[in-house]
Amino acid sequence: MSRTYVFARNAPSAEYDRSLAWAALLLAATGLVMVYSASIATAEASRYTGNSPAWYLGRHALFLGVALAAAIAVFLAPALWWQKAAPWLFMGGVALLALVLAPGFGREVNGARRWLDIPFASVQPSELMKLAAVLYAADYTARKHAVLKSFKRGLLPMLAVMLLVSWLLLREPDFGALVVIAVTAFGILFLGGMNGRHFAALVAMLGTGFALLVLSSPYRMQRIFGFMDPWSDPFGRGYQLSHALIAFGRGEWLGVGLGASVEKLFYLPEAHTDFLLAVIAEELGFAGVALVIGLFAWIVARAFAIGRQAALHERHFAALAAQGFGIWIGFQATINMGVNMGLLPTKGLTLPLMSYGGTGLLANLVALAILLRIDWENRQLSRGLNA
Amino acid sequence: MTAAAAQGLVRLPVWRARVVLVAFGAAFLVLAARSLYLQALRTEFLQEKGEARYSRVLEVPATRGRILDRNGEALAVSTPVKSVWAIAGDVEADAAQRRRLAQLLALEPRELERRLADPGRDFVYLKRQIPPETAGQVQALRLRGVYQHPEYRRYYPGGEVTAHLVGFTGVDDAGQEGIELAFQATLGGKPGSRRVIKDRLGGVVEDVESIRAAQDGRDLVLSVDGKIQSLAYGALKSAVEQHRARAGAIVALDVRSGEVLALSNVPSYNPNSRARLTGAQLRNRVITDTFEPGSTLKPFTIAAALESGRVTPATLVPTAPGQLTIAGYTIHDAHPQGALSVAQVLQKSSNVGAAKLALALAPKTMWDLFKRVGFGAPPQLGFPGEAQGRLRAWRSWRPVEQATMAYGNGLSLSLIQLARAYTVFARDGELVPLSLVKTGAAASGEKVLSTETARAVRAMLELAVQPGGTGPRARIMGWRVAGKTGTARKLVDGSYAPGKYIASFVGFAPASDPRLVVAVMIDEPSAGQYYGGSVAAPVFAQVTQGALRLLGVAHDAPLEPVELPGEGEQAREST
Repeated sequence: MSRTYVFARNAPSAEYDRSLAWAALLLAATGLVMVYSASIATAEASRYTGNSPAWYLGRHALFLGVALAAAIAVFLAPALWWQKAAPWLFMGGVALLALVLAPGFGREVNGARRWLDIPFASVQPSELMKLAAVLYAADYTARKHAVLKSFKRGLLPMLAVMLLVSWLLLREPDFGALVVIAVTAFGILFLGGMNGRHFAALVAMLGTGFALLVLSSPYRMQRIFGFMDPWSDPFGRGYQLSHALIAFGRGEWLGVGLGASVEKLFYLPEAHTDFLLAVIAEELGFAGVALVIGLFAWIVARAFAIGRQAALHERHFAALAAQGFGIWIGFQATINMGVNMGLLPTKGLTLPLMSYGGTGLLANLVALAILLRIDWENRQLSRGLNA
Repeated sequence: MTAAAAQGLVRLPVWRARVVLVAFGAAFLVLAARSLYLQALRTEFLQEKGEARYSRVLEVPATRGRILDRNGEALAVSTPVKSVWAIAGDVEADAAQRRRLAQLLALEPRELERRLADPGRDFVYLKRQIPPETAGQVQALRLRGVYQHPEYRRYYPGGEVTAHLVGFTGVDDAGQEGIELAFQATLGGKPGSRRVIKDRLGGVVEDVESIRAAQDGRDLVLSVDGKIQSLAYGALKSAVEQHRARAGAIVALDVRSGEVLALSNVPSYNPNSRARLTGAQLRNRVITDTFEPGSTLKPFTIAAALESGRVTPATLVPTAPGQLTIAGYTIHDAHPQGALSVAQVLQKSSNVGAAKLALALAPKTMWDLFKRVGFGAPPQLGFPGEAQGRLRAWRSWRPVEQATMAYGNGLSLSLIQLARAYTVFARDGELVPLSLVKTGAAASGEKVLSTETARAVRAMLELAVQPGGTGPRARIMGWRVAGKTGTARKLVDGSYAPGKYIASFVGFAPASDPRLVVAVMIDEPSAGQYYGGSVAAPVFAQVTQGALRLLGVAHDAPLEPVELPGEGEQAREST
């Protein structure tokens, strides 16, 4: 009771974390506008879209609506519910990943089987898996806290399931999702108190593993070299990146103006998905990019603060899940932006909350809704109420 | 869970979360710094790279000038069209789209495939100069790698009537024949250029700057009168058909200004559709072809004789017995006569008389006169491929050659040279410079004959179209005419071919104050008649009458129907 009293003094006045909600909504809304701007020309030129310039806009708006509705529903569910569901969700995610690979189910696009066709839409299981992985890792860490430092009982089971997931993701292949899931899951373990030496060994092992994967596949090698010096082969390997960089250079401080990008006019491939930030950079300039970076930084900061708050309430799962969401969103955003700016090799990762893609948007908004719920429960506890 | 929670509460390592958070903060700072670097410091380099990719210099086509007749009627105009080209390796089209494209471009599907498969060539024209509507339909297919650019296509409203005069342009809009070629510098515009930003499919997104404005070509007003031209072509064509001739040519000159009022050839061609063009159709017999003129040259022989002062129009020349043998070569008259006055030599077109008059002259005297009236030199029209004809140097003339040249054998000239030479008689001894472009003003000529001689020959030429002369069918109602028939045997491979003639007539009207010179030439009439007086003179009459009416020239003869002689009643010239 005294604990409740202590926190009640600092209890925030608002019911929920408004700044976090607004940051997420602002990113999603900007994403909607920029997806439209980036896709307008390609949509109009494509027979796949029926030459309708607003094809991607309409779809993305619909996804956003569905995802927001789902987010509201999720916000109403207690955070604890997710802990209970986590193993099942994770198993469901694994099943979907397997299903994508099963002949007759998955749809192949550009040499990758990442999509499951369902009526009216297609689902990308790896995006759902990112959400499930955070929940599962948080639950795992909270559950096994007592034995977490043990290699056999703490680390090995997690390593085993991660290897399974990695194997499935590499079969698609979806290397980007694998990196995000692995980093998020072990990040949560690390935050949850896993053995420091194990972690160091794991990092070393994963680093070697990734290096081997990269070196073993010419396709990944190519992506690496394209990023090192896009101007050495600007019409071959460096094509996409060189156009992204030109977009940044054209944008200058305030951009060429909304809708005025030239790069999106068939020069920059994947302008509305992986390279959305380049279009933002060209049309809205450094101001736009800085705003996006700032909002993501704010979301990460809030996620960690909420996690800390939950930890102070002894809500282990909630704390780890909150910080896990922060790692996921922050890491994927960092990688995507780094790729856009030529700091990192091309990965095939979208910009969370912004890029075109229904499953990703749904997973991101559900994650933020859970985060907001955890925060709401924190605030309830701080006021001495039951979460 | 409670056990774990109780144990873990204090153990959840806060420092680890801090480390991760700081790492994120650092990452975001790096991103912001990189963005700043790209968007504030590297802009020049990156924008330059961008320019290289999508900034293009486009040619702005210039419109070719129109060609108009002297009354402002269009003879050649440019209409906008599109040319469709492709970068073969970039073309993305499925089978149905390719079929549709081939259909729109009126190409065989296999031909389209062949062009798109052309190895080693990036740029390939699929079809040039298609109408704007078709181009719109091709654009609507939205095929990647297929592009269009605007061009102009030349259209000739006059069609075959003005084909040989106006000529035509090639597919690159440059003159290839006729006036189109001769006045390329005037008609052709200078294309401009502008810098634009293009999207990757080639569409212009933004106009950056104009580098050079396009200079349109200037319009050209020709001396030709479209109505006289139509009349001339129509009359010539029906004569060629009626006499089953191989070809025909006609030219009409304005005596005062030296302007060419009509210039036409049969067979002709449609310059708007030149798919199946033969060499015969393309030949311009007025300017670029030459022929042996025959009797139409006699007036110049007689003029030379008169100028020498040795004879007058009344001087008698013995022509009996209708033949004359020089160094083993015998000259014949068609109808043997007795003694003829110089005027009658021309009226009856006696070869023997003309030869005797010529032989009385020094070769140089005769050569000088021929040279002065423009034979053996190009007529300086500025038209491509002007023939200068063949007039051999007088020093090499043998007597028999001098004698045959007197009646137009052994030298060759173009129809327009002949017509121009007749302006000497029409202008009291002045040779007028010719013009294909409208001048609208009287031209001053070069005096090459005395006024007296010119008038004397003019009177003789008027006599030649009266009954008793060789060309009464050249007469018209309301105006006096003067002129000379010609019926030359045709040279085929260096010798005179039996039964092949060139019938001609050159004359002018009104005889009292000449305004118009018209020369007609019919090649190989083969429907029975072949005399210039029967075949060419009626064409002269028809065209001259119509042209004088169109020009509003005052009558100098009573408006009474002209009595035409029955067949066989008119005198026939010998050559």
